[in-house]
Amino acid sequence: MSTNVGSKQVGRGPAGWVGHIVDVASGAPAHYGQLLAANRGKTILLTALAALALIYPVLYQQVLAPFSRNTFPLPVPDETTVTFMTIFAIMAIGLNIVAGFAGLLDLGYVAFYALGAYTAAFFASPHFGSVSIVLFSNVAAGFPGIHLPFWVILPLAVIIAATFGALLGAPTLRLRGDYLAIVTLGFGEIVPIFFKNLAAITFTFSIGGATIISLQNVNLTGGPLGINPIDPFIIFGIGFGATSGIAAVYFGMLLTVVAIVVARNLERSRMGRAWGAIREDETAAEMMGVNTVRTKLLAFALGASFAGVAGAFQASYLGATTSDFFQFSTSILVLIMVILGGIGNIWGVLAGALALTYIDKSLLPWLGTRVQAVAPDFPNPTQFNFLIFGILLVAMMRFRPEGFLPSRQRAAELSVHGLQDAEEAMGVEVETDNISVAPHGQAETDRSAELPSEERDL
Amino acid sequence: MTGSTMAVGLTGAIPDDQVLVRARGVTKRFGGLLAVNNVDFDIPRTSIVSLIGPNGAGKTTFFNMITGAYVPTEGEITFDGHPIVYLKGSKVKSRKPHEVTALGIGRTFQNIRLFGTMSALDNVRAGIHVHLRSHWWDAILRTPSMLNEEQATIDEGMRLLELVGLEERAETWARNLPYGDQRRLEIARALGTRPKLLLLDEPTAGMNASETREMTDFIRRLRAELGLTVLLIEHDMRVVMGISDRITVLDHGEVIAEGSPAEVRANPKVVEAYLGRGAAEA
Repeated sequence: MSTNVGSKQVGRGPAGWVGHIVDVASGAPAHYGQLLAANRGKTILLTALAALALIYPVLYQQVLAPFSRNTFPLPVPDETTVTFMTIFAIMAIGLNIVAGFAGLLDLGYVAFYALGAYTAAFFASPHFGSVSIVLFSNVAAGFPGIHLPFWVILPLAVIIAATFGALLGAPTLRLRGDYLAIVTLGFGEIVPIFFKNLAAITFTFSIGGATIISLQNVNLTGGPLGINPIDPFIIFGIGFGATSGIAAVYFGMLLTVVAIVVARNLERSRMGRAWGAIREDETAAEMMGVNTVRTKLLAFALGASFAGVAGAFQASYLGATTSDFFQFSTSILVLIMVILGGIGNIWGVLAGALALTYIDKSLLPWLGTRVQAVAPDFPNPTQFNFLIFGILLVAMMRFRPEGFLPSRQRAAELSVHGLQDAEEAMGVEVETDNISVAPHGQAETDRSAELPSEERDL
Repeated sequence: MTGSTMAVGLTGAIPDDQVLVRARGVTKRFGGLLAVNNVDFDIPRTSIVSLIGPNGAGKTTFFNMITGAYVPTEGEITFDGHPIVYLKGSKVKSRKPHEVTALGIGRTFQNIRLFGTMSALDNVRAGIHVHLRSHWWDAILRTPSMLNEEQATIDEGMRLLELVGLEERAETWARNLPYGDQRRLEIARALGTRPKLLLLDEPTAGMNASETREMTDFIRRLRAELGLTVLLIEHDMRVVMGISDRITVLDHGEVIAEGSPAEVRANPKVVEAYLGRGAAEA
């Protein structure tokens, strides 16, 4: 199976340091023994897809756009759709760190998307109109509000989302499985509700006659109306808003590539192995020296930071944000992308994000106009998006539970074939107590039943 | 019986500088169940010590207290001069398992607990994790120091796999290995933590006679070649008697005998615990 294991090398391309930072094509950890030919095929495929992605926006603008609505049997994704593909791709890749690598089910991922969006809204908009802070911006000096450039907004969004990711992680550290999912679900509900309601904060706290803190009618988030307008990201005078053509698409692609590279490099590191160990057996991981507290918090924080970036980009792209963008359904949508695509595999979740965004933003609206033309009273198919995703999910679980492009791990865990392999490998001797010298055998069964489950499982 | 736990056999008679693990008055209660009761226990450096006793005697519980998995109800444990279980005020505190691992205690599990869908090599590299210094930002940037460290873990991991004879299976998933290989991989993973003390929880369970012999020889080699101290829980008396320098017998959470294999074998309390009252007189 492995012919040259002794001479294994960490993948270091000839292209030097930058070469191996972005060494995304060289497959799973080099020692997973992928054949060279398979790697070459993968490299060629990736190059081709990257080239297609690069030329697509231009192709769309120059050639496809005039036809897209009616001519083709299926709609071609427009600029907005492709931009949202990149936004959801970044989120799916981030959620995959938490749910796929570390095996922590996070149902409140939308909270970090919201935090990123409101970071852009606070620091690049006229919202705080009583002050004027303009930094490296096209906005005229003295214009009301805080206007920071994207290269401040994005790191801020990363820091804020990561901080809240760790804050969410902290109380959930002792929770596993279902319980973890429920707590994260709550967090995902709380954050958007906060944003919705912090439009008129009135709060006074005084001790004796002295006012400690007094807020009167502070409008932090714009309430249900949200914050509008938000500055687009601007580089060298080129704006990356929804109205600036294909520039935003390329910016989104750039962010996606960065997200892929970062996630890939984390996966192929001691962090990736520690996450894998926690996913496989948290107790054993801790006994083998993995600081599970820190490692899980790191997964939550790093995963959240991806959504922070996606949120900041989304808000500046749309030029507005409201809490309505950050419903629970978005958490579920991203999770479905991860699961359908192939949890644990970056390329799988990328495919999941692209496919579902396409269905959600291109295919269903297109279907909607078709249906409306024929039967105006029939409900618009765009309202059925979660019905369709649900059916897709059920079908996927039935026929290909490991996802569209599965990670090697999940494929083995979930497929019948993998189970058979494992059973065969376990062979005949799984009975452990073949030489029993124990008169108290019964006693042990009784005793272990009394132990709290967490302590019994060692 | 509690009074007789003190200074049976060698415990207490070993000079401080030769003691790797010193446990004093260790007690663990689970609710109303007294799993381990006031156990004193010393492990001399580079010795092979076995902990035996009937099922439910508290052996694994004692293991789990040395490794920080359980916090004892009472008692103190020091390892290599570092307190593992200690009193802070009137409360018993324990180091976290990963901190204990970093100090130099590696272990295997009674029921194999490998990281099933990680390769054999990655299992061992996960064991080395605790000694690695690169941070997540090094991982993202793939800094030269991080890459060197990764290469070093591959080399060390392969060396350990060679030691246990699994170098040909480096790329195989842990769960796809045969049972005996899984046992050996668990030891390799534990060795990855660079232990001074290796805790083996029933290493020959489920093995046939020849595999058991191999494992026994292997444990001897570990001490000879790596200078390890080994604490063993084992039911197979041939293994225990053949390999141990000292044996401690637990029954109902208490030490009932301690000493060389010959002494323990001759001890009437041990015979009674294993075979029942009356057998000793017979």
